[in-house]
Amino acid sequence: MRKLWLVVKREYLARVRTRAFVISTVSLPLLTLGILVLAQVVARQHQDHPLKIAILDAAGGLGEPVAKGLTQKLPDGRPTFQVTKTIERPEQTEKVREELRAQLRQGRLDAYLLIPRDVLEGKAAEFHSKNPGDAMITAPLRRAVTEAVIRRRLSDSGVQVENLEKVIRSVDLTLVKVTEQGEAEEKGQTFLLATALATVLYITLLTYGIATMRSILEEKSTRMVEILIASIRPSQLLAGKILGVAGVGLTQFLIWILTAAALGAYGGAMARALQPDASPVQVHFPLSTLVYLVVFFLGGYFLYATLYATVGAIVSSEEDAQQMQWPVTLLVIMAFVPFGIVLHDPNSPASVVLSLVPFFAPILMFLRIALQTPPWWQIALSLALLVLTTVGLIRFAGRVYRVGVLMYGKRPSLVEVFRWLKYT
Amino acid sequence: MDAIVLEGVSKHFNSVTAVSDLNLRVSEGALFGLLGPNGAGKTTTLRMILRVLIPDQGAVRIFGEPLSDRAQDLMGYLPEDRGLYPRMKVREILRFLAALKGVTEREADRRARQWLERLELADWAEKKIIDLSKGMQQKVQFIAAVLHRPRLLILDEPFTGLDPLNAQVIKDIMLEMRQQGTTLILSTHRMEQVEMMCDSICLIHQGRKVLDGELAAIKRSYGKNTLRIQYAGNGGFLDLPELIESTNHYGAVVEVKLRPGADPQEILKLAVQRGVRISRFELIEPPLNDIFIEKVSEADA
Repeated sequence: MRKLWLVVKREYLARVRTRAFVISTVSLPLLTLGILVLAQVVARQHQDHPLKIAILDAAGGLGEPVAKGLTQKLPDGRPTFQVTKTIERPEQTEKVREELRAQLRQGRLDAYLLIPRDVLEGKAAEFHSKNPGDAMITAPLRRAVTEAVIRRRLSDSGVQVENLEKVIRSVDLTLVKVTEQGEAEEKGQTFLLATALATVLYITLLTYGIATMRSILEEKSTRMVEILIASIRPSQLLAGKILGVAGVGLTQFLIWILTAAALGAYGGAMARALQPDASPVQVHFPLSTLVYLVVFFLGGYFLYATLYATVGAIVSSEEDAQQMQWPVTLLVIMAFVPFGIVLHDPNSPASVVLSLVPFFAPILMFLRIALQTPPWWQIALSLALLVLTTVGLIRFAGRVYRVGVLMYGKRPSLVEVFRWLKYT
Repeated sequence: MDAIVLEGVSKHFNSVTAVSDLNLRVSEGALFGLLGPNGAGKTTTLRMILRVLIPDQGAVRIFGEPLSDRAQDLMGYLPEDRGLYPRMKVREILRFLAALKGVTEREADRRARQWLERLELADWAEKKIIDLSKGMQQKVQFIAAVLHRPRLLILDEPFTGLDPLNAQVIKDIMLEMRQQGTTLILSTHRMEQVEMMCDSICLIHQGRKVLDGELAAIKRSYGKNTLRIQYAGNGGFLDLPELIESTNHYGAVVEVKLRPGADPQEILKLAVQRGVRISRFELIEPPLNDIFIEKVSEADA
C-alpha cells in the first residue's frame, strides 16, 4: 500500500506541475469569465446615446405611429430612439434612400427604417444600419412597426381599438420543471446544464483516458518501467498510475466547480443589480447532481483508463498508440451519439437500455440524472454493471500490462496479446 | 548462505525458449559474473531473479526465501536498457526510487547528497534528467540502484557508455561494496572485466548453462596451456602446426594456444634461432575469452 501511494503521489505531482495542466485548468474558467466580462462590457457600451434614425414611409400614414411607438428608454432615462425626420410617400423613393444612405455614411444618421408601399399586404420593413443585428434595438423596432401596421389594418376593416398594446399582447408560456424537491421555473437551464455537464464528462473521460495511456507508454519508451517493476508489483504500479491521473482529474473538477460556483454567485448578483424586477433564472442544480457527476466521472474514468492503459502497455510507439487507441475512443464517442435520444425522452426504453450499457452509462446515465431523476434501481443497476465490467477489465489489463510493458518493437497482434494472458 | 538459488528455472516466450532448466547458486558476498553471447538469456535470468518476470517452471530463492516484496527490497538493479523519467529532477527521482525500496525520504535525501558528491554530480541535483549528458544519467541510475544499500546488487552491463575515468569510479564502488558484504551479480560479455573482477562465473548459451564455478578453478582445470608473447621481427616462427593449435594476434601481443604435450621451450628456441627479439614470453592459463569461445562453439557443434 505504501508503494502504491508513492506511485500515486509521483504521478499526481508530475502531472499537476506541468504547464499543460495549469493551462487547461485555468483556461476554461478564465475563458468563461472572459466571455462573461466581455458580454457585460459590450452590454454597457453598446449604446450610450440615443440612436438617430430616419423613417422613410413609402406606404404613407405609418411613419408617425411608428415614431410614437418607439418609447424604449436607455438605462440613463434618455430615449433609445431619436427620430430625426419622417419622410412620407416621397416622389422619388430611390433618390431619398440615396440621401439617407449618404447621411448614414457621414455619421449624421445612425440608421433608417424603410416601410415599403405594400407593408399592409405583408411585405417586410427594412432597417438599414451599420450594426443591424442588435436585439436591443430590433425588438422594440419590430414591435412599433407591427403595432402601427395592425392598428392600420384594424381601422381599415372598421374596427376601432383604444388600447392596442393590451389587445395584442401575446401570452408567455412558462416552463416549470417538476422534481421530487419541488418545482422550479424552467427557462431551458436544466437542458443546457445537463448537456454542458455531460459534455464536460465526455471531454474529461477522453482527456484523462488518453493521459493514462500516454503515461504508461512514456514509462515504457523511457525504459523506466523495468526499474519500477523491480521494486513494485506491476498491478500496483498500474493501479497507482490510474489513481494518480484520477486525482488530477478530480483536482481539475474541483477547481472548475468552485470557479463555477463563484461565477454563479457573482453572475446572480450582477443580474439582480441590472434588472431588479426580472424574475431570476433558477438553476435547479441539487447537490446530488454534483455527487453523481463525480461518481460517474470516476466510474467512467476507471473503465476507460483501464482500456487505454491496456493499449499503452501493448504498443511501444506513439504511432502505434494512435492506431490502437481508436477502438477505445470510438466507444467514448459512441456514448455521445445517442445524446439526442436521451434529451428527447430520458425515460424511453431506448434511453433506459443505452444508459445501462457500462461503456455508455457514465455519460448517458448521468445525462438522464441531470435531466430528471430516473428510478433509483436503474441508477444502481447501471453503476453495478459499470463496476463489474471495470473489475473484469482491470484483471485483464493487469495481466496484459505485466507482459506488455517489457515487450518492445513490433506491435503485437490481438491473438498474441491474448496469448500473453497465459504467461503469468 | 547462498544469496541466490535457481532450481530448474525455465522461461518461454511464445515458441521461443529464453531460459531452459537453469540451476544456479551464488554464495553470499560473491562477485559473480553471468556471461553469455547476445541473446543467451542473461537478461531474462536476471529479470526472473528480480521478480520482473515470473518463471514458467522452477523456483527462485533469495537469501533462503522465496521471492516476495521483502526480498525485492533487498535487491538493487541497474538494467541494461537505461532510462529515467526525463522530466524529473535528479534528487526527486533518487528520492522516489529509494522510497519505493523502503528508505525514508529524509534518509534518501541525505544518502543521495553523499553519492552525488562522490560521483561529481552535486551541482546537478536540482536539474532535470533530460538536461544531463548520457554519462551523467548513467551515474544517476547507478546511484538509484545502490541508494537503498541492497544486499544483492544486480548490474547488467554496468560499464557500457562510461568513459574510462567513470568506469574506474564505478568499478571501485563495486569492489568497495563487496568489501562491505554486498553480493554482486555482473552480467556482461566483456570478458577482460569479468576476468579481473569476478570470483565465480556462470556461462549460459541459448538459455542453458554451459559452464559454472569458481573462475580460478575453471582456469586451473584448463592448465597453463597458453603462451603470451611480445616480440619484434618476423612472426613466421609461429607457423608450427604440430606444436600450436591456434594463435590470436592482439597487435602488440600474440596469444598462442599450445597443443597438448607441446613444449613451449621449443617455440622459444626457434624464435631465437630466427633472430626474433622477444621482450615477453609467458606461460599462462587460458584467457576467459578463449574459454568462452571454445565453450560456445562446442555447444553450437
